Amino acid sequence: MTRAPFSRRSFLEHSALGAGWLAFSALAAQRTKASVNASGLAPRDPHFPAKAKHVIFLTMRGGPSHLDLLDEKSALIKHSGKTSTTGRDSAGAKLLGPVHPFASYGKSGLRMTSLLPRIGEHADDLCVLNSLHTDVPNHSPAFVQMHTGSFQFVRPSLGAWMVYGLGSENENLPGFVTLNPPAGDGGARNYGSAFLPSVCQGTRLGGGQLPGLYAAFLKQQEAPGPPMKNIVHPDRSTAEQRRQLDLLRGINEHRLAREPHQPEVEGMIESFELAFRMQSEVPGVLDLKEESAETMALYGIGKGEDLFGRQCLLARRLVEAGVRFVEIASPEGWDHHALISQQLPKACAAVDRAVGGLLTDLKRRGLLEDTLVIWGGEFGRTPYAPGLNGRDHNHKGFSIWMAGGGVKGGMNHGATDEIGYEAVLDPMHIRDWHATVLHLLGLDHRRLTYNYGGRDFRLTETGGEVAKAILS
Amino acid sequence: MAALSGFLGTNSGFGFAEDAKALAHFESKIRPVLVEHCLECHSIESGKAKGGLRLDDREAVLRGGDSGPALAPGKPEESLLLAAIRHSDPDLEMPPRKDRLSESTLKDFEQWITTGAADPRESANGKDGRTGDDFESRKQHWSFLPVVASRIPEPKRRDWAYNEIDRFILAKLEENGLEPSPDADPVVFLRRLSFDLTGLPPSSVIGNQPSVIAQSTTRKTDHRLPITETIDALLASPAYGQRWARHWLDVVRFAESNGKEANLIYPHAWRYRDYVIDTFDRDLPYDRFLTEQLAGDLLPAENDAERARFLIATGFLAMGPKSLAEQNPAQFAADVADEQIDALSRAFLATSLACARCHDHKSDPVTMTDYYALAGIFKSTDTRYGTWVDSENNRGGKLIRLPDLPGQLIPNLSITKKEVADLHAKLAQLEADEKAGREKGEKAKAEGRDLQLDFNEMLREALRILWTRGPVVGKLATVDENGIALPLAMGVLEAPSKVDSPRYERGELAHPAEIVPRAVPALFGLASEGAVPPDTSGRLDLARWIADPDHPLTARVMVNRVWTHLFGAGLVETVDDFGRSGSAPSHPELLDYLATRFVEEGWSVKALIRAIVSSRTYQQASTWREEAFLKDPDNRLLWRHSKRRLDAESIRDAMLAASGELDWSPRAGSLVAELEVQSAAMIPFNPKIPGDLDGSPHRSVYLPVMRDQLPDVLRQFDFAEPSLVTGKRDSTNVPPQALYLMNSDFVLAQATAVAKRVMEAREDARIDEVYRRCLDRAPDEEERKLVDEFLKAPLPEGADAAKESEKRWRDVSQALLASADFRMID
Repeated sequence: MTRAPFSRRSFLEHSALGAGWLAFSALAAQRTKASVNASGLAPRDPHFPAKAKHVIFLTMRGGPSHLDLLDEKSALIKHSGKTSTTGRDSAGAKLLGPVHPFASYGKSGLRMTSLLPRIGEHADDLCVLNSLHTDVPNHSPAFVQMHTGSFQFVRPSLGAWMVYGLGSENENLPGFVTLNPPAGDGGARNYGSAFLPSVCQGTRLGGGQLPGLYAAFLKQQEAPGPPMKNIVHPDRSTAEQRRQLDLLRGINEHRLAREPHQPEVEGMIESFELAFRMQSEVPGVLDLKEESAETMALYGIGKGEDLFGRQCLLARRLVEAGVRFVEIASPEGWDHHALISQQLPKACAAVDRAVGGLLTDLKRRGLLEDTLVIWGGEFGRTPYAPGLNGRDHNHKGFSIWMAGGGVKGGMNHGATDEIGYEAVLDPMHIRDWHATVLHLLGLDHRRLTYNYGGRDFRLTETGGEVAKAILS
Repeated sequence: MAALSGFLGTNSGFGFAEDAKALAHFESKIRPVLVEHCLECHSIESGKAKGGLRLDDREAVLRGGDSGPALAPGKPEESLLLAAIRHSDPDLEMPPRKDRLSESTLKDFEQWITTGAADPRESANGKDGRTGDDFESRKQHWSFLPVVASRIPEPKRRDWAYNEIDRFILAKLEENGLEPSPDADPVVFLRRLSFDLTGLPPSSVIGNQPSVIAQSTTRKTDHRLPITETIDALLASPAYGQRWARHWLDVVRFAESNGKEANLIYPHAWRYRDYVIDTFDRDLPYDRFLTEQLAGDLLPAENDAERARFLIATGFLAMGPKSLAEQNPAQFAADVADEQIDALSRAFLATSLACARCHDHKSDPVTMTDYYALAGIFKSTDTRYGTWVDSENNRGGKLIRLPDLPGQLIPNLSITKKEVADLHAKLAQLEADEKAGREKGEKAKAEGRDLQLDFNEMLREALRILWTRGPVVGKLATVDENGIALPLAMGVLEAPSKVDSPRYERGELAHPAEIVPRAVPALFGLASEGAVPPDTSGRLDLARWIADPDHPLTARVMVNRVWTHLFGAGLVETVDDFGRSGSAPSHPELLDYLATRFVEEGWSVKALIRAIVSSRTYQQASTWREEAFLKDPDNRLLWRHSKRRLDAESIRDAMLAASGELDWSPRAGSLVAELEVQSAAMIPFNPKIPGDLDGSPHRSVYLPVMRDQLPDVLRQFDFAEPSLVTGKRDSTNVPPQALYLMNSDFVLAQATAVAKRVMEAREDARIDEVYRRCLDRAPDEEERKLVDEFLKAPLPEGADAAKESEKRWRDVSQALLASADFRMID
């Protein structure tokens, strides 16, 4: 972490003049800048000017079927029911056309499933990437790779890289927040900082999300617990606690006066100040009560299962307050091996209103311009159905969409083959997608490096190509 | 976190002439300049090779571009590259249209070329394999060469050194024009010694022996502290074993749950924890200790108690994180073996042998053949981790039944005889259901009916049976026929059949190549290397190889681990990576001296610690000195003792000691052992378990260590990531730590308890008492004044004076427990 740059020399001079810790205290009070650095979250300039300053990452874990949602394939519709001749473990499996019809949306006429009408209302802002591919067709590794670029090694997550690259706009809040992250599929790895400074790691708000079967059994998606721990003192008012912190500060500064040049101690002093400010700011941001009934309704809050709606609204509030990267995991899994025609509408319904509401809300507040919204899962699904009226995992070609933050809207980029199995036109590996996201943030993925154990690491390892065609 | 760098060494092709120094010069002075100023136009990555020249790998540089080779190693004046950056030829000025690079950069390039232009960057089509000078030269890396009994230096200054360690340190300081620091203040020193050896403040460990403290803080006429007795008392305290066991538990990625995508608990893992505490307590020789962990099941035992201990020791191999969702048993077995090889090679050898799973090691002399010879050893091993099949887990595992012993602790839950009968009945029903389902399917098939329509229902039924049977079978395996809980452990046994592994191309099971016979890697020419007996897995042979006194890594790695915990940094800073991507030792001769001595003194960890803390080097003050700081800012030469932060366990334990709430007895078993669920995700639903996973007065080493579900205090204060081998923890300072100290239930409870005891003292002695309790020292005048003013501030309106006074004492206690004086070791 960066050390507080306030001048130890000037401090020495003051104490040498006999002013003691009181003089130091006065001096310290002036250096608001220093505290920014002590937090490690000071805003940093991007490598080049860019529109996106925030990211909201809506992770649709389980592998949403691109063929039913975002990638319409006429050949697949035509040959539905015929035996498949390509693909992994496809022996004897029949091709399966989209289980629900596609529809045209917006002025652009973007084709998407009819199951996501509220999101579809924003079609002219959506940039659909149809040619993603990743390395393995298993949930955990693919999910971790989507987040960290690597499933073999423990690496920093995308959000951590962003905070490392740009710092935070609000030093009183964490730079990277993840809401009720799933406990499985790599768990804390997906918001970890690995070797990056720990201030870059995602702060988890709310309990972990329970593994699917437990959630179903308990009829509850969230593990119990306060949204953020240790943020309130049980019996001291802010003023009383301030007085206690002044005592603590006096004790610590006395230590510095006894023995100069202790950056660790300076860091501790700063971190209490930062914690004190977080304490006053965080509860306000987390409190949805300030929002109007109309806004609540926009996100579908108050109707049935609304955890996801509340999370989306909270994401907007966090971004508004200056948080760089907010991640929300979808409430329903998208792992539709069986009964896809019944299950898919449920999964869509669980997110459609809230995500549509989020886009509307961001747009009307002027936040969409500098907020990149990402919607997607760790891989897609096969064009054939191996026996279960469902689709298997497919990592060779799948789709996600992005909106706002400097991407072109109302467009498709890249394409899979005629039945939607493999990315063939402008294929975009996870590394390429990471490079593109960083680029949208003004960060050059080749220059965003961190030296660890003698080697420079980056999110995109040795690859990564920016998809220039989607930049607005 | 653990150094990952072992995985990641650059694909280096070192020639003989290129020593580490030349490479360091390249890395620090040349590479950054190439990256910043040249590669934009001259590299594969940029897609440009202006003038036909690339500068992104060694061969390309030597081959050169349209104007010929870019450089002539050893001959700066004939090197075009240098001419270009010097701007000595107006037609060839690089970088183009920019100011010339700085004079010092030009000098760096000149020096680089003069000394042979060392460049580790290999071209993409470079080859790997155990042939050629390249591979042989890798074996010349310092840590792979035998330990040399070093000559003890004779520093100029004669009156400083207490022991041999000091002579190594002082000689190097003198070489660099530095002086050691004065001796530490005795009170400061005692606090350091006590925390380092026991993780607790001195008053709590030797508090009932005030004479020891008085004696050890009074200097003799020759200024020495008479500390031998104090050191012995601390090493003999049970607190020592609890402290140093925890260091080892970091190294072996100890955890009580699986982590990863299926985070199932390991209810019996605590037995291994207690085994390690016991081992350090009685100072079991380290060679013996590592042999027990790798092959305890294969050692002859004198009695059942020893047999049980040996079995528990092998828990080391069983507790790694596993891909329990994996459907393919062969893949699962390969991954388990891989994790075992990775953990043991990093823990004992600070080298990553597992790097060679998919390709020959990129920088160290380890081939795929070595790897698959080891893989066979672990394929021939039966790993017992004991989680049952359920909706999250496709890979059920057995446990080891320990011998019955008198007074044995069995914390896992018993059930009634009736419950046993019910479980058997349930099992019989499930078997019947399964049979019925199978018959139904077969009948339909025989009749030629299309099963498509019934498929979903049949699948649901099959899953129901599978997932219900897992917990039934799992529970029955932990009790006897009367429902009484059995003594069980995680660990390994020999597999019934011993098999060799094929080498798999790129590590993929779909691409087996030749069979590799099980063997100990032939890396160092030791007697224990080579093929293993056909009727054993070979684990014992592997253990003997690692424990061989002539193994160049084992003793060096361990003494460096111990050194790290006493100084805050190792002689080799990359404690878990002694390979070529790791850092070089700051004092190679001292490292070898300590390694030799360690082996000679019977691999005694206590003797090693005693020697180090008795040195004057260890007893130096930690005070900053400008002239020394400017020469050696990172204190690699040890001109002072480094200031360190207390780790999570010490913070918590010292708070419990200050409040008087610490329960010295070991916690029997573990919270995890008594849980009735299998998934760690369900823990927050148990109302009996506190939200911070603490609520215990026992020492922190006994707190539950579930992966991704750590107790708050451990998570906040940089606990070792329990999925990775960790020889040195992070030391961070982030606001959530401050929030924990300001608002958490635990800290407030301890502060309240401190205040209560302080208020029992006479009124005018209370400030002294709170300082003594929290910081083991008296306050100075300034501090006394600060606290006094805080206490005497006017009461808020309407406040109850007595209550407010209690709260203020609590606030003072809490401030001291959160202070830098408390959190730092000087």
